[in-house]
Amino acid sequence: MKATEIIFYVLTAITLLSASFVVTARNPVHSVLALILTFFCLTGHYVLMNAQFLAAVNIIVYAGAIMVLFLFTIMFLNLQKEDEESKTTLTKMAAVVVGGVLLVVMVAVFRAASVAPYDPATYNTRVGLVESLGMVLYKDYLLPFELASVLFLVAMVGAVMLGKREPGDRHF
Amino acid sequence: MLPIILLSVFGIVLLFLGFLKTRAVLLPAALLFILIALGAGFLEWNKSYLYFGDMLLINNLAILFSTIVLISAFMVVALSGDFLEDEMAQPAEYYAILLFSIVGAMMMIGYENLIMLFVGVEILSVSMYILTGSDKRNLRSNEAALKYFLMGSFATGFMLFGMALLYGAVGSFTLTDIKSYILLSHGRPSLLLYMGELLVLIGMLFKVSAAPFHFWTPDVYEGAPTLFTAFMSTVVKTAGFAALLQLLSVSFSAIYGFWWVILAAITALTLLAGNLTAVYQNSFKRMMAYSSISHAGYLLIGLAALGQQSRSALVFYSLAYSLATISAFGILLLVAKQHTTDGRPDESYSAFNGLSRNNPLLAFVLAVSMLSLAGIPLTAGFWGKFMLFSAAVDRGMVWILILAVLMSAVGIYYYFRVVIAMYFREGQAGRIRVAPFYQFILIAATALTIILGIVPGLFQNIM
Amino acid sequence: MNTTYLPSDYLPIFIQLVLALGFIVGSMIVSHNIGPKRHSEKKDDPFECGIPVKGDARTPISIKYFLIAILFVLFDVEVIFLYPWAVNFKGLGMEGFIEMILFMGLLLAGFYYILRKGVLKWE
Repeated sequence: MKATEIIFYVLTAITLLSASFVVTARNPVHSVLALILTFFCLTGHYVLMNAQFLAAVNIIVYAGAIMVLFLFTIMFLNLQKEDEESKTTLTKMAAVVVGGVLLVVMVAVFRAASVAPYDPATYNTRVGLVESLGMVLYKDYLLPFELASVLFLVAMVGAVMLGKREPGDRHF
Repeated sequence: MLPIILLSVFGIVLLFLGFLKTRAVLLPAALLFILIALGAGFLEWNKSYLYFGDMLLINNLAILFSTIVLISAFMVVALSGDFLEDEMAQPAEYYAILLFSIVGAMMMIGYENLIMLFVGVEILSVSMYILTGSDKRNLRSNEAALKYFLMGSFATGFMLFGMALLYGAVGSFTLTDIKSYILLSHGRPSLLLYMGELLVLIGMLFKVSAAPFHFWTPDVYEGAPTLFTAFMSTVVKTAGFAALLQLLSVSFSAIYGFWWVILAAITALTLLAGNLTAVYQNSFKRMMAYSSISHAGYLLIGLAALGQQSRSALVFYSLAYSLATISAFGILLLVAKQHTTDGRPDESYSAFNGLSRNNPLLAFVLAVSMLSLAGIPLTAGFWGKFMLFSAAVDRGMVWILILAVLMSAVGIYYYFRVVIAMYFREGQAGRIRVAPFYQFILIAATALTIILGIVPGLFQNIM
Repeated sequence: MNTTYLPSDYLPIFIQLVLALGFIVGSMIVSHNIGPKRHSEKKDDPFECGIPVKGDARTPISIKYFLIAILFVLFDVEVIFLYPWAVNFKGLGMEGFIEMILFMGLLLAGFYYILRKGVLKWE
């Protein structure tokens, strides 16, 4: 095995383990920490796939900023007391069946699917660099980029509208 | 293209108008902006344009769908006079978000690239999450917003994964590239394509609340402020079906044999789930939520039986459904205000008892919209159903047709419960004061429903 | 295939990361283990100064902090868009400059809205 392959398999194993810990952990703070680990592993995958800019952004935005928001939310909710499980056995079984079927279908598809091949001779290693990404983003995908600012604006207005304390509100 | 730019700018203008001392200017400004966008859209009539390197396709179909969206938005804004008087409401923000959400809807209607679809869906959904929770002091509204947000982002995740798989198979996000990939693959496209299409479909079917992805609908529609429920059940549905039509008819028409079975099964399930559950509801608002699920089912017939007639049938049905739904919610808004139980507006059927005695106009408007939703002749809803059903006949889908007709019969039962309550039950409903403009909008919608019901050809000539 | 810009270029960074992490983890473990320890009820108190502990740290915090955090994330994501643009500033020319002005203009309008709403005012 080549070094890249070894790194790939190790990273994948850690990613899967930490991702399943996110779901199974009892303590929500542990879940968040496991999620951060998952993001770091994904960053490793990005680097392996030559998407360096995405790797950096993943660390800054996801593992950094968004995880802070997750922690904030956990602090908002009082999750100290163990709530009894609200799900019945039937819903759990159904969820397992549906998730399992999805997994089986996915695995089957990915085993049989043909992915467009790549030619090492002509492969451009600079494809994932900031420079090439910028050229694509600001030339081909100009319209979605500009309209993404409308999305930001909606999010901003919504956050202010829902989150701002009005004069009559409770004050903690 | 022009309406999208205009609405983005107008949204910001409205936001800043909110800083003025008087709120009275907001409503006319919002209405004016929507009208300008409507007019600007028709500048591109009969010219088919591809904008910004195959990102956005504006043709007559897209303009018609956008017009329905803009008309729905216009009516919703016109009925929103109450916000200006409510101290707690923030009308400038509401209107701005409504305008921004129309930008998202228009992206979904005219997209030519899957990225545009995704950004459009996100703009529309995020706006809807916010508006659902806009009644901050109402616990039900908060719960509805949270539920909608969690489920909605999950569905968006599915859609995004599907798009990634499509890209993996095709190597492009453009709809026509996907089409030519399928045509060049000699009937053996990569399995990733099928999986990707399925996942994108699941995401979109969630947004239009088709069964089995409809569980969020009743709670969200009931918890959201009534006007925003009207907006959600019309604009989101119209845009969602326009997006599905675009995706299926442009990209995937070559593998119709693969997806029509799935879509037909979902159609049948949606019709059953929507109509049969609606029968058991005691709240009018909740019944309207289930009714919107069942109408998603009827619209899905047009997609499952994709053909020549589907386009015009879907446009016509969306228009008929939007007109009837918004006027029904408009009446509910007035009636529910009259009776309050535990400080909450009464939205049950009994609130409508004896409405016709003192408010014959309101009763008539609601009756017409119920008849149109039920698909009774001489209303627009009848011709909408007729066109969709004949599309199904063209494809030889007789069993779906039989099911749909049966379910329409069930629909008549629950729609007529309101009509019976209004005309044949005793009630103490006093005279309800209605603002002249409000009244005008209701009458206009009713008139349009009846005109389209008598001369549907009027509309087909435009197509 | 040109052999530049490959993931293996990141090996030095990876080594530095491992070293940095290793130093932190190692020094924490070592300092925990070699120092003398004395356990008692008083010693293990969070505040070992006579102030009795009341409740716990998980009290609800004001929504104001969250609002600031969420606005921060929004502008953070916006800044991410600037990197690919800045790198290509010359290549994109005047067109690219106008594109970015438009994008920033919309967001600055949002920023002005936030300021006018007084969200950033800390009473």
